[in-house]
Amino acid sequence: MRKTIESCITFFSWGALFLLLMALFTLIAYLIQKGADSIQLSLFFGDTTPLDALLLRRQVFDGLFPAIAGTFILIACSMLIAIPIGVAGGIYMAEYCKGKLKPLFNLTFDILAGIPSIVVGLAGLLLTILLNRHFPRQIAPCLLLSCLCLALLVLPYLIRTTQTALESIDPLIRKTAPALGASRSQNITLVLLPHSISDIISGIILATGRCAEDTAVIMLTGVVATAGFPRSLLGQYEALPFYIYYISSQYTGPEELANGFGAAIILLLLCIGLLGLALWIQRRFTTFLLFR
Amino acid sequence: MLRSYSPSEYLFFTAAVFSGLLTAAVFGFLFFFGLPLLQSGQLADVLFSSWAPGKGLYGIYPMLLSSLTLATLSMLISFPISLGCSFIITALAPLRLRRVLLALIRVMTGIPTVVYSFAALFFLVPLMRNLIGHGSGMSILTAAPVLALVIAPTMILFFVNSFNKVSPRFTLAAEALGCSKIQKILYIILPQAWPGVINGILLGFGRAMGDTMVSLMLAGNSTAMPEAVTDSARTLTAHIALVLAFDFDSMEFKSIFVCGLSLYLLTALLMLLFRLSTAYFSQAR
Amino acid sequence: MRKNSISIPLVTITSVVVLFFASWSIAAGDISPFDQQKGTLRIAGGTAHIPVMKEAAKQIINYNPQIHISIAGGGSGLGIKQAGEGLVDIGNAGRKPSDQEIQKFDLQLLKWAVDGVGAVVHPTNKVQSLTSTQLQAIYAGKIGNWQEVGGVDRQINLYTRDEASGTRKVFWNKALAKGDISTKANVVVSNGAMKTAIAGDPFAIGFVSIGHIDKSVAPVALDGITPALTTVRSGEYHVARGLYSLTKGEPTGLAKLFLDFLVSPTGQQIVADKGFIPVK
Repeated sequence: MRKTIESCITFFSWGALFLLLMALFTLIAYLIQKGADSIQLSLFFGDTTPLDALLLRRQVFDGLFPAIAGTFILIACSMLIAIPIGVAGGIYMAEYCKGKLKPLFNLTFDILAGIPSIVVGLAGLLLTILLNRHFPRQIAPCLLLSCLCLALLVLPYLIRTTQTALESIDPLIRKTAPALGASRSQNITLVLLPHSISDIISGIILATGRCAEDTAVIMLTGVVATAGFPRSLLGQYEALPFYIYYISSQYTGPEELANGFGAAIILLLLCIGLLGLALWIQRRFTTFLLFR
Repeated sequence: MLRSYSPSEYLFFTAAVFSGLLTAAVFGFLFFFGLPLLQSGQLADVLFSSWAPGKGLYGIYPMLLSSLTLATLSMLISFPISLGCSFIITALAPLRLRRVLLALIRVMTGIPTVVYSFAALFFLVPLMRNLIGHGSGMSILTAAPVLALVIAPTMILFFVNSFNKVSPRFTLAAEALGCSKIQKILYIILPQAWPGVINGILLGFGRAMGDTMVSLMLAGNSTAMPEAVTDSARTLTAHIALVLAFDFDSMEFKSIFVCGLSLYLLTALLMLLFRLSTAYFSQAR
Repeated sequence: MRKNSISIPLVTITSVVVLFFASWSIAAGDISPFDQQKGTLRIAGGTAHIPVMKEAAKQIINYNPQIHISIAGGGSGLGIKQAGEGLVDIGNAGRKPSDQEIQKFDLQLLKWAVDGVGAVVHPTNKVQSLTSTQLQAIYAGKIGNWQEVGGVDRQINLYTRDEASGTRKVFWNKALAKGDISTKANVVVSNGAMKTAIAGDPFAIGFVSIGHIDKSVAPVALDGITPALTTVRSGEYHVARGLYSLTKGEPTGLAKLFLDFLVSPTGQQIVADKGFIPVK
């Protein structure tokens, strides 16, 4: 009897794995089959010549170039805001935070990590409306706002990965420098941070991937269907994930739909590429994935 | 707290407090904008009535129900699959295959949900339409497996992680006594690591509740009370995305803050449970 | 016979050439105010407007790349509010804003096209004509099977738009006589999405702006009158509306130039090309 149950569970486990991989590969194969043909120069630049588009001489219509550029600028600005705060917060949590404050902070960051991205976007939109009431016609949903919201979204992951990276350092290494007379901040900057830098960087790259894929936040905070290359932080912009969503609901013909599939493949490659990079830098990084 | 702060420590402390305050600020924003509604005593109306702006009803009850139904259903699909996969990755598969699978699952966490939804919209929806035989093919039942696929890697990694934390003393002893791999999992690892399984479920459920794109693109967005899983339905997150096109002063707009607030509180509650159970079980051990 | 077969291509070629030069010279004239201009123009709102907005923007930017134009959807409700709140320069609406809205936000209206809203079904659907009563009953959920209106024995899949939609408002006012729309209806967020959904669902019924009707969907005649450009223009088909662009106060700068361009002969040609009825 027991044997039967055991072999049933074994069989079921393999079945579960098979089902999961089937689902994954079916969707991806479908995507590639539909989108592979569309990946060519016109997917990126529409009917504008690549040179004109790259030199920003002419706004690109019906091409992915502005959306890709928008996504990259979005990622860069969000991470620029989030990294200093996140890493500093993580260092505090790992090295300084003690007593009753620690569980409180832990819970706070868990909650922050758990807030659905659309709620973060909603909060950002509210901020804009409030500002707009005070500075009419100057503040509107824009790239900067999206960056601030995305930074908020990835902040808890950065704090967590930094914290875990530092906390998992061998006590032997941790205590050597202070024993030789190094100050606490010397120990952090010269020993602990360099020692855990690969974990921290992989955390940063994973957060970058999250910025690249999130659609709900930017949907409420300034992404639009057509805007051209983003010229100002206070302007509206295009982004890849939103382009995919927009095409899914608004495509007017087979060409536009094919563009949507092409865009989905490119976003997929971008995100998998970032993840591969993180894996390559650091093999063991469970915390981020667990808490995302 | 008695010793003085060094400048760098002060800086780190500020960053942490700032991040903490942001958590509160998001809540504060939602609360502040939802306040007129709370004061007017219409909260119960909004929470427990249906959505029919034409008739002066701004309720989010159908969305609340849809969100919970969709999240539960996708958990029901995802949990057994995730548990099975984690058994395989922990012990059942040969070592080399385990590494490959683990890397693959990690890569899966990076696949954008909008890409999943986009592929499913054109692949799964027509399939479901024929399978169900009525309706548009967009339904809770269509969104659930896709959402299950989205949350599965998170749960698998959490399960695997907690299984791996079981001390090798136990597992090695079991192996020495001639335990098979599946016996090792069922009688040694699982009894020790089940708190981790519960925590994985909590996290997975939170992710399922918070996801916007899958339900927005695949569940059909009808505002009716869902009566069957084959019905088209709108979740809280999709409702926020859809109703945003309204007057900032109007009831419609205010009611989506109740949506935001409910989502915030629900996920915060899940996280609190998660922390409490982690603390409880680590103490119990 | 022989004469004819030569003259037809000749006439065609001549007229194409003439038209080309005519439109080119007109275009140069209509678009020349954009000389020396630069800056950014934000447009949002009605989704029926988007094809026209996009084409106009494309022509303007091809003429003067110094100008940047962003175009967002969101529905008429959003267009009115965002223009009113000053979040965009031009808000589009597929319905006339209420007097209260006009007053509250100090809105200026420009009507640049006339459009109809027609019920549509999948091209394979046999039912391509309904009475008003039938349509209202279908949308209220009282008729739930195609068999009841002469089709196959399958459930009717209802599609409607979100509440910010001007298309929905016009359809509800004029075709459904403000009757109920079943809450079981699937909700989509744009005219494009509606067309996509109906084209992919053999048992669906929905409604779109006439400018969006093409081969992928079949228009449903209402009380015997097929929604089309001709029937809207002649006034026979009554589910019609104006397409508006709104500004907060008098339009200035690029917004004014853009709106002037829309009602210029070139702009109106774009309107006609995209399947709407020009106002001039």
